[in-house]
Amino acid sequence: MIPEQKPEIDATVRAVLCDVLGLSAERAAAFDASTPLFGALPELDSMAVAGVLTELEDRLGIVIEDDEVDGDMLETFGALTNFVTAKAIM
Amino acid sequence: MIGYYDWAGGREAMLRFGPEDGPVVVLAPPLFEEANRTRAFTVALLRALASHGVASMLPDLPGTGESLKPLEEISATDWVEAFASITLSRPCHVAALRGGCLIGGNVPALSRWFFAPVSGEAVVRDLTRARQAADRETGTSFDAAEIDREGAPIELAGNAIPRALLRALRATEADMAPPCRVVRLEGDPASADHYVPGAPLWRRAEAGNDPALAQTLAADLAGWVRRCGN
Repeated sequence: MIPEQKPEIDATVRAVLCDVLGLSAERAAAFDASTPLFGALPELDSMAVAGVLTELEDRLGIVIEDDEVDGDMLETFGALTNFVTAKAIM
Repeated sequence: MIGYYDWAGGREAMLRFGPEDGPVVVLAPPLFEEANRTRAFTVALLRALASHGVASMLPDLPGTGESLKPLEEISATDWVEAFASITLSRPCHVAALRGGCLIGGNVPALSRWFFAPVSGEAVVRDLTRARQAADRETGTSFDAAEIDREGAPIELAGNAIPRALLRALRATEADMAPPCRVVRLEGDPASADHYVPGAPLWRRAEAGNDPALAQTLAADLAGWVRRCGN
């Protein structure tokens, strides 16, 4: 089942990646579920990880606990959107 | 123009922009790594402000920038005292960016203008998260509860920060008592008097600059300062 907010959340995740990592809109628009993020994007350093998480929290009104942050949730664009979608519709 | 100011703890550098007369804005920059990332942008903002006939000062807080004091010896009170020594010496307006609102918001001034203000708790949370992300890569782990224990300054995002400073910041909110104007980026759901288009430069490793955003904010700040008067 695909929650109805999914497209909006997807767009917000792309916007956050653009804003925090300084990616072009074209580059972020080309991301699909299997696009690798952490370890694959040189822009995504540890400060940027903090920035991405905080911006997602602020813009989606969610709270991400420290123990939920691991390599898996940041591994791909799909993993990250799935994680925040589950948070946002809870 | 490079100048300096004196406060109870010593002498610190500051940059000055704009005319010799007319209204004066003293700007409190973002804190820690965000200050480095937004330095060029902040200078562009104050140069644009000068083109509106508004003078400004951009002080280095003790322990930051050109300061001879090590950050390890700085308390939150030092920052507020040093900043207040400037705002008390002449009638002026305070502008502050991000975490700078925690310092610039809590000193006497004719008016306050905040861009993208952030709570002290959020500042410390960002620093803690960056440290945790860095530690995950090296297989170690950082416990944020360390901040509440006594001990040596903690290395967070490239700065060795005293634990007492982190604890004090964490408990600080920007004072938005009127006259205060809050400006935020579009897409930021927090409340504000005005929203402007742009991206959060302070989040970027290769921050660069955003001259259009600097111009927009300078025009807004100049208008606010003139409405508040001297």
